[in-house]
Amino acid sequence: MLDQLAEGFAMAMRFDTFMMMSFGLFGGMLVGSLPGFTTLMAMAILLPISFFLEPIVGIPFLLGVYKGGIFGGSIPAILISMPGTGAAVATSRDGYKLTQQGKSRKALDMALFASVFGDTSSDIFTILMIFPIAYLVMQFGPPELFAVLLLSLVIIAATSGVSPLKSLVMMLLGLWLSFIGTDPLGGVERFTFGVFDLKSGIPLLPMLIGVFAIPEIATVVMRNEKVTQLAALMGERLSKAEFRRCFRTICRSTMIGTAIGIVPGLGQVVAAMMGYSAAKNASGHPETFGEGELEGVAAAEAANNAVNGPTMVPLLTLGIPGDNVTAILLGAFVAQGLRPGPQLFEEQGATVFAILVAMVFANLLFLVIGYLSIPFFSRLVTIKVSILIPVVIMFAFAGAYVFRSDSIDLLMLVVFGLVGIVARAAKFDVMPMVMGFILGPPMEYAFGQTVAMTNGEPFGFFFGERLGAVAILLAIPVIGLVLWRRTRTVAAR
Amino acid sequence: MFNTSIKKATTLAMAAGFAVAASFGAAWAEYPEKPITMVIPLGAGGSHDLNARVITSIIPTYLDQAMIVRLTPGAGGQKGTQEVANAPADGYTLLFTHNYIDMLQQHVETLPYDPGKDFVPVARINYAPIAVVVRGDSPYMTMADLVAASKANPGGVQLAHSGNWGALFVPAAQIMKALDISWNLVPFQGGGPALQALLAGDADVTMGFPSAIGGHVQAGTLRVLATAGAERIYDDVPTLAEVGVEGDVGFMHRVVLAPAGTPDDVLETLGAAFKSLEGDKTFNRMMGRLGENIDIIGTDEYEAMRVEQDGAYKELVKTLTSQ
Repeated sequence: MLDQLAEGFAMAMRFDTFMMMSFGLFGGMLVGSLPGFTTLMAMAILLPISFFLEPIVGIPFLLGVYKGGIFGGSIPAILISMPGTGAAVATSRDGYKLTQQGKSRKALDMALFASVFGDTSSDIFTILMIFPIAYLVMQFGPPELFAVLLLSLVIIAATSGVSPLKSLVMMLLGLWLSFIGTDPLGGVERFTFGVFDLKSGIPLLPMLIGVFAIPEIATVVMRNEKVTQLAALMGERLSKAEFRRCFRTICRSTMIGTAIGIVPGLGQVVAAMMGYSAAKNASGHPETFGEGELEGVAAAEAANNAVNGPTMVPLLTLGIPGDNVTAILLGAFVAQGLRPGPQLFEEQGATVFAILVAMVFANLLFLVIGYLSIPFFSRLVTIKVSILIPVVIMFAFAGAYVFRSDSIDLLMLVVFGLVGIVARAAKFDVMPMVMGFILGPPMEYAFGQTVAMTNGEPFGFFFGERLGAVAILLAIPVIGLVLWRRTRTVAAR
Repeated sequence: MFNTSIKKATTLAMAAGFAVAASFGAAWAEYPEKPITMVIPLGAGGSHDLNARVITSIIPTYLDQAMIVRLTPGAGGQKGTQEVANAPADGYTLLFTHNYIDMLQQHVETLPYDPGKDFVPVARINYAPIAVVVRGDSPYMTMADLVAASKANPGGVQLAHSGNWGALFVPAAQIMKALDISWNLVPFQGGGPALQALLAGDADVTMGFPSAIGGHVQAGTLRVLATAGAERIYDDVPTLAEVGVEGDVGFMHRVVLAPAGTPDDVLETLGAAFKSLEGDKTFNRMMGRLGENIDIIGTDEYEAMRVEQDGAYKELVKTLTSQ
């Protein structure tokens, strides 16, 4: 294995690999920073380019688009409170507050450093532990996934906001919203009232932009102060001392993110939220979270990027794509004549390691590209408010529309904008609602699968074969109760 | 004053002239004069997406126009399908779909379009034959073992599939119907997760396309019990027909449809372009790498197949839902 790694290292050291990777990183970052354009779309469109490149050039190029895109998504989340993906929701919480305080540069720098650190560490961990991870991945089936998702929701409800009860109400609302549309298992329509537009459910993006960006716009407009700029300045760059202060958080989030990446089907959204919750919980000053805490940005970004390494493992060791992004990478692999599967390592071990090594270098390269681009992006918030607000509104509507190119989504955006404004006025946090909405469908699916798998004998099934899932399920009330109490004591202070 | 009127008149005349010229131009110009959109009613990264990326990077050679892929997933494929059903029948909006979305769904639920009346086939690009697979260490050595076990314990054998009425579910249902057996059908979110469930021991059997399972079969981690089609794909593995499942079972046809009413000459131009792909070296090489075959069938021949599918699926859904 070591000589394959060395050979792979040598293969990755190519000028054209680095060129295409930089191109992918920069392009991905630009696309990712536009609300409504997803990294997935960018990868699907650019996939054919990789068909005509050598494997060790084409695949790093796509990986670059992917990595650049993830960071790109945090740019509008931080600058204009417009998270383009669920993974950026936790980032936008403190990121946007920092922007309002005139510290957008610091927030973006922190997002970049935490992302690169989280991603690089998890990639290196993946390279070293690829076979143990491959074994662990196989231990998670639908019952375990259901248990972990339920645990995540409990943690989110118990730790976000001031009142866990309000959070719980919002989460249930989110879960209910996720039920609208066609039932993913049985194919039965629910709460659609026969409207075809609701059949495929409520789209995520109009909801995200609606509940997070619209209330911010409304606040600025309604305050009607003589603010000429959203933030007077973009502020200074991140200092070494600030990075050092957040380093523990970054390390913790990296571990959480890597662990979550191993569970197939959980992904970046859960990682970001768990990283954030854990940082808040471990902090001596949890009340600063949500009010412009650099650690909050660091926690979310390190965690959601640390997912990347382990998610590649099922693809590389079994040839099985766990999500849409890896499905596109699988396409690039097979079009190159690399057939992922159990024998890929025997036949193409060096190439696989070369790709993994290229992932690590993509991160380091991105540190440079990102660092140089941040001043350019953060200048955005120093535009006059009278110009910026109309532009942001335009982006909100355009972003909600291009996601599915469906005009009904404009209406959804407005509705969710109002929901966001009302929730804010009533001091309800919309984050648990969004998390319930995002995590509800996979949880419901896993539940349905579990029911199908038990074949009418749940007791024998769970206690005979699924003790792991039982253990997690039993731990949920305990963890939930402990966190609930903590949040209440903090709120009482 | 006078001058301005003259100016206005000239401008108007010129504008009218351009308009007329433009409309003549449109009438005379040969299809296609602008890029063609190919809607896929499925998500990114699936086999349709991959096939389409290859097709659209080669077909401009034969059409002299770009073909743009637009992914419109949702409502089990109905969202994208409806979009094309409502598009103008001018040959600039096409649908790249498969037979189960196309012909089966109408028997399961009420659709906002009529697949038989709203679409005409342009070309069938290729087909993927399904294989019945078990783990390499499974006790089921042959299809007969599996059938015997399923008969002995109805519902006791778990089959992982990629979603109700999907490309793995339907052949499983057809096999169940033909052999009078009953499996416990467990859905997964796509063929990849279904395969992973089989490998992890969460399911006893699954269905898979050769392009997805080839590596595992070679490595011995998967064993194929039967494959679709009249001819054997693996020398030592029987076809479904040999084990008692007759008919057009287990084929996913990847097919390009156009809205009904598309002019014949447009259909011909498109059909000829798709047909030319068969002889294209790059196309053959890339599809070969994807593990896909190329077997292009034209409008009339595929329309006949659609009618046949329609009847068979109607029957299948009736049998399954009446239980």
